[in-house]
Amino acid sequence: MNKLKSFQHPYTRGAVNSVKKNNIEGWLFVSPLVIWICLIILVPIYIAFELSLFNVKIIGTSGKFVGIDNYIKLLGKSKFLNASLNSLYWIIGNAICQTFFAFTIALTINYKFPGKKIMANWIILSFIIPTVVVVVIWKLMLSSSSGVINSVLIDIGLFDEATGFFSSPNKAFISLVLINSWRWSPFLALIILSGLNSINREMYDASKVDGANFIQQFFFITFPNLKSVLFVLGLVGTLLSFNIFDIIWLITKGGPSSATTTLPLLIYETAFTKFRISQAATLSIITSFLLLLFSIIFIKLMAPKEDD
Amino acid sequence: MIKENNIKFIFLSLSLLLIILIFFFPFFWIITSSFKSPEEIIATSTTIIPRSFTLEHYNKILFNSDFFIYLKNSLIVSFSSMIISIILSVSAAYGLHKLKFYGNKFVEYSLLVTYAFPGVILLVPIYLLFAKVNLLNSYFALIIVNVLFATPFAVWMLKAFFKLIPNEIEEAAYIDGASRYIVISRIIIPLAAPGIASVSIFCFIISWTEYLFASILISGDNLKTLPVGLAGIVGQYQIDWGFLLSGAVLASLPVILLFVFIGKYFVSGLTEGAVK
Repeated sequence: MNKLKSFQHPYTRGAVNSVKKNNIEGWLFVSPLVIWICLIILVPIYIAFELSLFNVKIIGTSGKFVGIDNYIKLLGKSKFLNASLNSLYWIIGNAICQTFFAFTIALTINYKFPGKKIMANWIILSFIIPTVVVVVIWKLMLSSSSGVINSVLIDIGLFDEATGFFSSPNKAFISLVLINSWRWSPFLALIILSGLNSINREMYDASKVDGANFIQQFFFITFPNLKSVLFVLGLVGTLLSFNIFDIIWLITKGGPSSATTTLPLLIYETAFTKFRISQAATLSIITSFLLLLFSIIFIKLMAPKEDD
Repeated sequence: MIKENNIKFIFLSLSLLLIILIFFFPFFWIITSSFKSPEEIIATSTTIIPRSFTLEHYNKILFNSDFFIYLKNSLIVSFSSMIISIILSVSAAYGLHKLKFYGNKFVEYSLLVTYAFPGVILLVPIYLLFAKVNLLNSYFALIIVNVLFATPFAVWMLKAFFKLIPNEIEEAAYIDGASRYIVISRIIIPLAAPGIASVSIFCFIISWTEYLFASILISGDNLKTLPVGLAGIVGQYQIDWGFLLSGAVLASLPVILLFVFIGKYFVSGLTEGAVK
């Protein structure tokens, strides 16, 4: 793509030279960050790959070479299947909830109302506080014995008695999805808002003349014009949701009966509570492979065409 | 026409109410609860307006716990991560979006993917790597990791601000004989200052809230960060709610204070055409 651009101003030697100069200088400016990231991602991945071919148990000990045995064993394990499915449900659940919340927030803030500025600035509060604080907030609010949510739901007659929101597998899973969406939606809403701001207002006026109502406006103008934002959100959002560890770990520890054990939790458990380092490394390699595959396919299919 | 405006008004008020209830009420709740007596916090009948007022939890956490040690550690780690992240990402964003070199799209997309690169996957090997090079139990271990997680998105955020700076200004400076260093320090950085402020706060938040790596890479009590300290109380069998709540409020306070001063840059940095 860039090659094409450089051919756009041809014919003068100076222009060609400056493109070449840009190549070297550009890489120079980018290289400190690129080197930093490569070192901290690629070296560990190499270490993980090496580990996955041995059977090391406790960190620091050595194991014997087993080849691809770890991979074969792991792919057939029900724990791995269970965690993969949980991760899939987790991503889908979060995508649905966060899309709903984020669009509600973004579309609301996009209107004019008193206090709009304050709300736009502070809506992101749930994103800037430590995750541990998010956990504290919701553990208190959803507590079965003294939680405010339980007592409100009983007062308005929805529940007969207090429920434990983390006691059954389904309830725990749904509660966690909602808590995680609570944390991330405002941040995503601001990114959607940036997309909304870049839409030409005249399109709305023109559609109004043609008699479109605001629901039609949303589906025919707003949504299609958010393509490049939605691309970034789709890619980054999916990977970020997948990545969530601390909220789940600190609230349910993956329980009850492994219902909330997603792949990140399984990796953590395998490495730091079961002390099977090689297995954890194998899991990491398989997971990175799956995510890389997802990213490549997503970028190939969905990357917006560059027209600027 | 009037009817549609009415519907709009109802929609708007409903969603506003919902947003306030869902996204703001929890903060009101934990802040007020942190001043309640221990009995009221765990009482089965809850009322929205607090009935008791006490400072005992704050007294306990400020004068009878390791709070200040954790606070110091969190501040050191977050500030250092922020400064290194800013230097690296401003330089990279300049290269990516002002110098348009061969392969810049590839670097840009790879950065987006690394932003979301699952930390847990790296946890075990990074632990081993840091153990090998003797970095475990050091601030630097956390800084290295935080920079890794903050910079990719920081570069993406800076893109919008760099694109807003007209190329003509730079070109005019070059014609006047300015060097690249002068252009960057006198033109680019001052003009992108709001963007750099918003990126700084993002980097600070990422480091401030990081829990997973801090809990594994640091084992010494004197080097623990605030999230790890708090998580220690969450994990206890009998939770001392007052203690925990006041800790949660205090741990959020620094980012909130920072946000009071430069939060508007952060929000406008995210909303004003980050995608153009």
